[in-house]
Amino acid sequence: MAEEILNTPVYDDAALEKEYLDKRKIQIEEDLKKPFDPEVVLEVRHLRKCFPMKKTVTGKVTKELVAVDDISFKLKAGETLGIVGESGCGKTTTGRAILKLHKPTAGQIIFNGKDITHYNSAQMRAIRKEMQIIFQDPYSSLPPRSTVGGILSEPVEVHKIVPKDQVKNYVLELMDKCGLRDYYYERYPHEFSGGQRQRICIARALSVNPKLVICDEPVSALDVSIQAQIINLLKKLQRERNLAYVFISHDLSVVKFISDKIGVMYLGAMMEFGTKEDIFRNPLHPYTKALFSAVPNPDPTAKTERIKLEGDIPSPANPPKGCRFHTRCPYAKEVCKHVPPEYKEYEEGHFAACHLLDGE
Amino acid sequence: MSKMKKSYLTGKEIRAIAKENAKIIKRLEDYKNRKAEESEFLTQMHDDANILEIDDLHTYFFTEQGVVKAVNGVSYSVPKNAVVGVVGESGCGKSVTSMSVMRLIQGPAGQIVDGSIRFKSHDYKRDEKGEPVKDENGNYEMEDKVYDIAKMPISEIHRIRGKQVAMIFQEPMTSLNPVFTIGQQLDEVTFIHIPGATKEMAKAKSEEMLRLVGIIPENVYDAFPHELSGGMRQRVMIAMALAAEPRLIIADEPTTALDVTIQAQILDLLQDIKNKIDGSILLITHDLGVIAEMADFVVVMYAGKVIEQGTVYEIFQNPLHPYTVGLQKSKPTMSLDDGAELYNIPGNVPNAVNMPNHCYFKERCSKCVAKCSGDYPGMIQVSPTHYVACHLYSEEDSNNG
Repeated sequence: MAEEILNTPVYDDAALEKEYLDKRKIQIEEDLKKPFDPEVVLEVRHLRKCFPMKKTVTGKVTKELVAVDDISFKLKAGETLGIVGESGCGKTTTGRAILKLHKPTAGQIIFNGKDITHYNSAQMRAIRKEMQIIFQDPYSSLPPRSTVGGILSEPVEVHKIVPKDQVKNYVLELMDKCGLRDYYYERYPHEFSGGQRQRICIARALSVNPKLVICDEPVSALDVSIQAQIINLLKKLQRERNLAYVFISHDLSVVKFISDKIGVMYLGAMMEFGTKEDIFRNPLHPYTKALFSAVPNPDPTAKTERIKLEGDIPSPANPPKGCRFHTRCPYAKEVCKHVPPEYKEYEEGHFAACHLLDGE
Repeated sequence: MSKMKKSYLTGKEIRAIAKENAKIIKRLEDYKNRKAEESEFLTQMHDDANILEIDDLHTYFFTEQGVVKAVNGVSYSVPKNAVVGVVGESGCGKSVTSMSVMRLIQGPAGQIVDGSIRFKSHDYKRDEKGEPVKDENGNYEMEDKVYDIAKMPISEIHRIRGKQVAMIFQEPMTSLNPVFTIGQQLDEVTFIHIPGATKEMAKAKSEEMLRLVGIIPENVYDAFPHELSGGMRQRVMIAMALAAEPRLIIADEPTTALDVTIQAQILDLLQDIKNKIDGSILLITHDLGVIAEMADFVVVMYAGKVIEQGTVYEIFQNPLHPYTVGLQKSKPTMSLDDGAELYNIPGNVPNAVNMPNHCYFKERCSKCVAKCSGDYPGMIQVSPTHYVACHLYSEEDSNNG
């Protein structure tokens, strides 16, 4: 008993946290000074987004919720990045922070070789047409009092994509590409089913010829047969226009189908990042493995060995110390409870943050 | 112009429809609220191995746009100690069928118009006053009765609802009462359904049920619903459904609102419970993966009708109806090779008000034959347990005998 206690390493949590934060600060400062890669459409460096939870009377924030903590990735034209994770893991906040619908707390967003993190709203408006978003709920993201024609012409007119007299032809052509009949031009959104509305949302996003489209759970609200139609449409448009997608979803099978690269998020942090092939062939992080094994298999003869995760996701307002995942990890060790793991490259382009991979 | 389909109704037409509806609704409401002798709704099961038999059920919604035939002649049965999975897209009537079994259809617009729902109940024997009868040893006597739920007056439905058939709803966030503790809500089930229940007995029962669903009762018994996470609330809902020891549990999309890792936990729990209790589960979901993992029998519904039913192996390894085939192919799976285009079923589900006379799937089907423009196809038996409603298989059937 005594031996056991003596051999157990003692962790000074406060000192470890300070050491980790100092180390990370230096790392971040170094990374932010690196030159921009001209090939990528979007680069996110150490993105962090905090929401204030408690404020003093003078407006000083005393408690913060870290929704997105230190996320980095690169995305080239024509590629799709899939972000998966459970609810509350910060995937939607990431998407919105990239578009600067939320102001990032720290980090850099580099779009087309320009650092747009500190752009003001006038500067943003100029590049809004390059980056668009498709929302999850097609029922609440269309204005009920405009016709489809009106919805689709407005961005074209505002951003002066084509001369005024050609707007209607342009919109009709776009509708045809998105699988909408031309007589829908005069109709209102309430006359359409969910799948058709999502097509309108996609057409609206593409009307300004963007380079980057954030798809925030675009098929979650749709039925399976309609889901397949929308996924095929997104893929077709990507091939035709060389679009870059950030595809946010909680459905792993959909993400696997559409993505080139996949990032797995948990409680605001990236747990694993890599190409689709790497992640599915060789998932490194125990959370990724558990997530994959939790997907029900539509084959009654296949008996999947499930990695059971106990309990629920901890509250992001009060994330666990050390590795965020240690409270649910079936392989957690003592070190995981105290030291946050480093986010490292284990194979080429395949990153993960887990102590178990260091083979200590 | 006269050939063009009108998309709007005039005020006159709406008033005519409303008048017609009011007449029918009045008749059905009177039938629902009548006083009736027990003998009126006692019946016999067609197959004694079944616990629930739904036979040619029609549940309509009388709206101002016309009659929506949400459930239009649905028949399936739930055998004893089995899991029956009902799968279909939104609006296909899978939930309305289960709500009809619980008699929870929202009136006066929604009404069970025709058909029967036979349910084998196992309840306390009661005397004429409705008090439970004790035998010589002081235990309550039990007896089996078969009720036709569709014919029961609404005042008698308490014999079934909650006690014999329990329901787990989709939204664990909204289906618990926010102003009572979990303990109070669980105890209530025992108080209502078990005669002579005391406070201690109810608490002991509630704690036992919480343990069964993997919750430590000390932490949760005195908690309010808002203190629990979605997965925990769904566990509490399952505990509540189990508290009265029902013979049939209807789980209406029990995991749709949950995350995938929590969904895996709840599915494991339901599997586990299935083996522990002496009852059947009717599982309603749109997720084929969930069905494949949980169900023994599968019912596929489309636009208010059953189009295919069989064992889980028959449906997944030998799907016959083009819709079932399409549904399975259009779901991206974890093992799917990429690069290929995802299969998709073109078009949408037809408008629920004006259903055509021919097969409802005809417009979206890739395998149509001449016969498809004719009458709606009947159910064709392919194997002892496998049925399909499609003209493609009708000739084979007649050849085989």
